[in-house]
Amino acid sequence: MATGPKVANTREDLLRVEGLTKIYDGAVKAVDNVSLTVATGEIFALLGGSGCGKSTLLRMLAGFETPTKGKIFLADEDITNLPPYKRPINMMFQSYALFPHLSVWENIAFGLRRDHVPNDQIKERVESMLSLVQLGKYAQRKPHQLSGGQQQRVALARSLAKRPKLLLLDEPLGALDKKLRETTQLELVNIIEEVGVTCVLVTHDQEEAMTMASRIAVMSEGYFLQVGAPDEVYEMPNSRQVADFIGNVNMFDGVVEVDEPDHVTVRCDECVHYVGHGISGNKGMSVGVALRPEKILLSKERPQGEFNWCEGEVVEIVYFGDHTTYHLKLPNGKVIKAQEINNTRDLSCGLTWGDRAYARWNDLAMVVVTQ
Amino acid sequence: MAKVQSFMRSLTQGRQLVIGVPYLWFAILTAIPLLIVLKISLSEMEATSVSDMIDWTNGWPTVKLNFASYLFLSSDTLYFQTYLSSLKYAVITTVICLAIGYPFAYFMARSPKHLQPMLLMMIMLPFWTSFLLRIYAWKTLLVSNGVINNVLLSLGIIKSPLLMMNNSFSLLVGMVYSYLPFMILPLYANLSKLDLRYLEAAADLGTSPFKAFWLITVPLSKAGIIAGSMLVFIPAVGEYVIPELLGGPDTLMIGRVLWDEFFSNNDWPMASSVAVVMILLILLPMALFNKYQAEQSEVKV
Amino acid sequence: MIKLFSRSWMIAVYIFLYLPIVTLVVFSFNNSSLVTVWSHASLRWYTVLANDADLIAAVGLSLKIAFLSALMSVFFGTFTAFALNRYRRFRGRTLLASMASTPLVMPDVIVGLSLLLMLVSMQHWLGFPERGLFTILLGHALLGTAYATVVVTSRLREMDGKLDEAAMDLGCQPFQVFRLVTLPLLVPALVSAFLLTFTLSFDDVVLSSFLSGPGYSTLPMVVFSRARLGLNPTINAVATVTITVVTIAVVASSFYQSHMERKRKRDIALAYSDKNQ
Repeated sequence: MATGPKVANTREDLLRVEGLTKIYDGAVKAVDNVSLTVATGEIFALLGGSGCGKSTLLRMLAGFETPTKGKIFLADEDITNLPPYKRPINMMFQSYALFPHLSVWENIAFGLRRDHVPNDQIKERVESMLSLVQLGKYAQRKPHQLSGGQQQRVALARSLAKRPKLLLLDEPLGALDKKLRETTQLELVNIIEEVGVTCVLVTHDQEEAMTMASRIAVMSEGYFLQVGAPDEVYEMPNSRQVADFIGNVNMFDGVVEVDEPDHVTVRCDECVHYVGHGISGNKGMSVGVALRPEKILLSKERPQGEFNWCEGEVVEIVYFGDHTTYHLKLPNGKVIKAQEINNTRDLSCGLTWGDRAYARWNDLAMVVVTQ
Repeated sequence: MAKVQSFMRSLTQGRQLVIGVPYLWFAILTAIPLLIVLKISLSEMEATSVSDMIDWTNGWPTVKLNFASYLFLSSDTLYFQTYLSSLKYAVITTVICLAIGYPFAYFMARSPKHLQPMLLMMIMLPFWTSFLLRIYAWKTLLVSNGVINNVLLSLGIIKSPLLMMNNSFSLLVGMVYSYLPFMILPLYANLSKLDLRYLEAAADLGTSPFKAFWLITVPLSKAGIIAGSMLVFIPAVGEYVIPELLGGPDTLMIGRVLWDEFFSNNDWPMASSVAVVMILLILLPMALFNKYQAEQSEVKV
Repeated sequence: MIKLFSRSWMIAVYIFLYLPIVTLVVFSFNNSSLVTVWSHASLRWYTVLANDADLIAAVGLSLKIAFLSALMSVFFGTFTAFALNRYRRFRGRTLLASMASTPLVMPDVIVGLSLLLMLVSMQHWLGFPERGLFTILLGHALLGTAYATVVVTSRLREMDGKLDEAAMDLGCQPFQVFRLVTLPLLVPALVSAFLLTFTLSFDDVVLSSFLSGPGYSTLPMVVFSRARLGLNPTINAVATVTITVVTIAVVASSFYQSHMERKRKRDIALAYSDKNQ
């Protein structure tokens, strides 16, 4: 792999990771043969639950962990064995790790001082960073004199001050409360795009990954389940695990009955799915059909036709304000969830506990996942 | 790659230095001295110096082990009694400290939050003043013509002075006095962290406050009780200064015997073997304590 | 009822703890040469103390030893705490940890005896060191190192390891990390370790008795030898002086600490009151 030509297509790929593996204590595979490329200017998210290996992968990129196997290239330079302080990579730490004994100003200047940047340039750079994150008047405060959101911005300014080629973000919004998150998310993306730095971010929060990243890698047990744009991962999960992990999903198990290039049907215990596109499978194959709750419509009238609907009893209604989730118990005992937008002030559908209801969906609403 | 190697080298050099310095320091000042004690305990006194363990007189080294001190130690019942009485006083001290310290720590943890730092500081303050001087102060209080007897006599409460000095009473007062803070501090640390909602839950489920204390507070503070007892018991076993200043001829303590063997009798092998047995005496409760801690951490995992 | 009981229990314990100290101080102003019989107030024993050359020399020696041994203790204790906490796995870690806790659990008489016997054999083979200031210093530094290790360790444990990584990420080499981040954050722990080990050394009588040579008597050694013989009013005067110094130091430092704590709380309140950001 490493023998490939070094000149071609280098302008696009900034980070290239090849077969990276980390084994702890000779047994536990934290990261298992991961390869990826990140293009210049991209925001790349590693998404996964705790212990999926995303943090270990990030720490290997930063240089805090030595890979057991594999290589890391940054702008075609092999940095696998470079210590963290020699890498042109900076990290914004989870819960920020701001130096408590230094002022905001000195925190931001810290990295520049290590590079022996002349004082006047340090001053200029720190001040531009402070104005970038709009913290100019807090320059002389100590970190504990700042609120959580302000600390987060200092951490960002500190990690951007050295103009790293690659910025690593470790759960960048994890320490903030929910309300602050939404505004900070957008602010963070704006700043990153303004600076134009390439980013790898680690998060367990799918919403965070979807809103911030241009591409997402869903990780589990040390390897990538799927890599793709946010909508791709959400609308076209390539496996049950991904479908399950990202958002809510109703899973139906079934067998392919008709396999045509432009459509397939899948017979399940509960209903027959008519899928309006071809799949890479063949007749008689067992597959799963993933259907998102928001793509289901509920009604009291029995739908037309024989495909893409089922009947059940409303067993639970959960009101969220902007939408309501109905739990529908099907004749075979399976419970599916359906989400209805509350677009009028009277509660829609007119369904209540114990009602019989019909769930229907169109032929492009679901995804067929082969195991 | 050269850079990486030099970095790795400097890192391992730094690591070797950081580990090596304390290793050398403690090896020279604890491990080797203890081995020397063991060695000397197996030698005998020859005029003014200790016999060599390795004998070269035949032209080749022969190891001479001399168990005379240990034999004497086991044959003379005085030593056995002294060990026993050291243990006895240490146990009694621990129990009294617990009996006084537990309610105290409990009340302290329940007192108003803003007063607690002050109350805590007042427990620590005597600890910062000389231990020796505080023991000496008890001497001035307890002797027959001491402050307490003088006050009681002048008030007419007693007719003749109470005998409170140079006996097990004065010894225990001194020991309890010196070690009480060591019992209170871990107990307080433990009890002040106790979540009061447990007690509320117990009350809610129909438990009387007194019962709740025995069923909830005491079991949850087990770690504090054990830590405090260890902190009192272990130094109490080997105590020398308190028995020397406050004890009497009947209050045998092993620390004093060791001191006398060394300074008065000049018998180094004997003093060393007394020390070796004393170490064994302390290692036993330490081992039990470590086992308990290991079990506790296992439970947490 | 319970409140009354708990109050009186606490008061009784405090009386028990402070009675000897108060007695010492009060009787230091007693004019009688009988320590326990009050005649009338005077500074007689302070003038005796001021002219007691032995005692004053002992104070000087004790201060010197306490200062130097506290420095050594903090130095070696920091090393030990680092070795035990920053390098989690190395061969012999358990041995180092148990050696470092030996002076804490072993009775002073054993530590003193073993050190002395080691120094005697060392002198036998190498011809040095003579017993005196240096040997006492060594003993106190050993004891102090064990305590300093505990103090520094507890600070290192609560320190965020991420700060070291952040420093490295921003371009610090390992030693720079220590100098620029770890050390400044350790300062409060180093100060309290220094004060603790200073006090331990200034208070020690057993180790000093084993390790000192002719002509080297520390203050506790002098006090101890006089206290063994009987009651001596100059000891009360010495006690009062040390108690005064210590009390002022402790009260001042706790005031300083609570002041810093209040300042910190104010700062935090300030941070969250900035609603404009």
